[in-house]
Amino acid sequence: MEFEFTEDQLELQRTVRDVLDAEAPPELARAVADSESDGRELWDTLVGLEWPAMALPESAGGLGYGWVELAIVLEELGRHAAPGPFVATVTQFAPLVLETAGPEDTAALLADVAAGRTTGTVAVDEGAGTWDPAGVQSTARRDGDRLVLSGTKHYVVDGATADEIAVAIRLDGEVRAVLVPGSSVQTDEVVPIDPGVRHSTVTLDGVRVPADRLLGIGDATGAVRRALEESVTAIAAVTLGACQRIFDIINAHAKERIQFGVPIGSFQAVKHKLADMYRDIERARVLVYYAALTLAEDHPDRTLAASMAKAAAGEAQRRCVQDGLQLAGGIGYTWEHDLHLFLRRAKVGELHFGSASHHRRNVARLSLQSGTA
Amino acid sequence: MRLTYSPEVEAFRAEFSAWLDANLPDEAATAVRPRSSADIPEWSRSFQRRMFDDGWLVPGYPPQFGGRNADLYEQAVFWEELGRRRITQSFNPQGLGIVSASIITFGTDEQKHRWAVPIMRAERTAALGMSEPGAGSDLAGLSTRAVLHGDRFIVNGQKVWTSGAHHADVLLAFVRTDPDVPKHKGISALIIETDSPGLVRRPFRDITRPEPDFNEVFFDDVEVPLENLVGELDDGWRVCTGSLAHEREMLWILWSQGLDRMLDDMLEQLNGGAGAAGDPVVLDGLGSSIMDSWALRLLGQRQLARSRRGLHVADQSLLKLLGSEAQQKLSLLMLEALGPAGLDRTVPPDAQSPYESDRAALSWADRYFFTFAGTISGGTSEIHRNIIAERVLGQPRG
Repeated sequence: MEFEFTEDQLELQRTVRDVLDAEAPPELARAVADSESDGRELWDTLVGLEWPAMALPESAGGLGYGWVELAIVLEELGRHAAPGPFVATVTQFAPLVLETAGPEDTAALLADVAAGRTTGTVAVDEGAGTWDPAGVQSTARRDGDRLVLSGTKHYVVDGATADEIAVAIRLDGEVRAVLVPGSSVQTDEVVPIDPGVRHSTVTLDGVRVPADRLLGIGDATGAVRRALEESVTAIAAVTLGACQRIFDIINAHAKERIQFGVPIGSFQAVKHKLADMYRDIERARVLVYYAALTLAEDHPDRTLAASMAKAAAGEAQRRCVQDGLQLAGGIGYTWEHDLHLFLRRAKVGELHFGSASHHRRNVARLSLQSGTA
Repeated sequence: MRLTYSPEVEAFRAEFSAWLDANLPDEAATAVRPRSSADIPEWSRSFQRRMFDDGWLVPGYPPQFGGRNADLYEQAVFWEELGRRRITQSFNPQGLGIVSASIITFGTDEQKHRWAVPIMRAERTAALGMSEPGAGSDLAGLSTRAVLHGDRFIVNGQKVWTSGAHHADVLLAFVRTDPDVPKHKGISALIIETDSPGLVRRPFRDITRPEPDFNEVFFDDVEVPLENLVGELDDGWRVCTGSLAHEREMLWILWSQGLDRMLDDMLEQLNGGAGAAGDPVVLDGLGSSIMDSWALRLLGQRQLARSRRGLHVADQSLLKLLGSEAQQKLSLLMLEALGPAGLDRTVPPDAQSPYESDRAALSWADRYFFTFAGTISGGTSEIHRNIIAERVLGQPRG
């Protein structure tokens, strides 16, 4: 196998990095953290550059890039702690539509996503924190040509701002996906640890939507799981990027910060922490891109690979946040230093869409079932 | 990026696989077991010789040295096949992988045919004399002295940790030939016959097995002909650091296969009811070990891809660190998952293949202890962390 980027992928990486260096500098993440910006102008720029269309299929108005290319973009978004609806719209909403809806609905919905006219998100978890569709208890019942919803969804990314919410719901005992306009639900935003990624509790009780807002036919448990494999891999890629930025800041700091007359990076206690951060980042990097590759090729390993990616990114952030903040010393503990912008993004990645521990246990169960790693 | 090898590489795998089907010795012939890492039973000598003669021993080498000029991906699937079938490439791994490789890389034509080829054909065995009582992590601080008198060196000093020396026919020993220059610049590499007068070997046991493998080797006015000098005089450090150049991109595979060997056993035993497979803590640790296994393979594959593109390959320390510590982590996890069942040191008789080293399947306690051979030898984990920080991350030397 050829486990390295192609020349085209390397070129894309350079382009994406250049755009985000210019359009999403730390000043933007800081303005969001200071509640002086909602990051909207970055989304407008990315729409202008057709980024939302990039990984969507051509049949849905997309550009048909593969998942490895999407992961490259996501890693860079994390490396810049970029705000905005890209992640929820492109890697949560769009996959759920693609996996559950019929071709006509998909083409119509995703054309708007590709063009940047619609932002979206998904509402799956109901408080367990595992995003397992089998645990869905919220219900829909038919009332003429409408559906009446009931239940509460938790930790919905961009829940208060997305145009459309794809909600996993139980109808006649089956798990289904239904599209709910963001304006029709009651949302309570969680006070965010990273203001660039906002979660809301979404209350569905009494919400009525036309029955044709139901996506696809039949039980969608498997389809939702497949969609979430994409969402989970995406979060892992973003987390990886945030870890890389933390590492870059600290690795440079260790070369420049002089104490006892020498750079602190000359001390083994510091060197060994840096080596461990590097090891965990590279371990996460190959598992993230392996997961992206399995998604690109719809390979049977994609379920395992998504969990490995999420868990490895979680382990990397644990070490990078812990040792990064420690090695930065007092300066990294200040609001004025940029470090915390990336610490926040890295930590968010761990806390939603299943923890590292949840995904590690999933990896173990899948391997015990198959009898092989 | 893609997930599969090319059809050409898969054809190479199929060819090797068919060769193994036709040439692997009968299990009944394998009853005599190696006593150390430089002791090859007759049945295994003849198999290794057949691998050499048919170009399957070191596929990356040219045919006269037991290969077929295989490229890196072909070499990777060669290793995958050996690993899958649980076949050890040679029961004299350092003789083949380091001593003969060093001679092939740095030796004269005459040295290649006099020593490297017989070692590869398992006609002779070899051990590696590097570490000394005062030179472990600081290998370049070695003090075994060789003084050139006319056409021969007189060697005095001591080596230690010399695996298999008591069964080896020759040593590749690193000695100090110039004590008056910076330590890396006064070292030379010598081939020393172990039956040389004045050379004494004292085997000693390690903590995992009854038969000794390690040796102290004492040199008391040992005469070594000048023609046994490998590489230039005082240029031995280059031989020492470059001895693995041929297989540098491949070393990770041995870590990866050792880890996967343990992981397969662990999954099988947990599925068979051993240990506490349902315990969330065990599952959590198992998941992390499985990720280590995948990450090691993928990092290794990335290194192969980069090397094939002619890019500088810098992750050997990372792979060694990850691989050796992952084995330690997994074996400790399984030992603790077994609880009191881990007290039993018995190894089931069918736990290993007859074609692999007897160290492949130990009790989990012994496996755990044995993993320290991985995190200590070949540069301790601490040294590799320094190397990563300095050479990959650009931190200043302390």
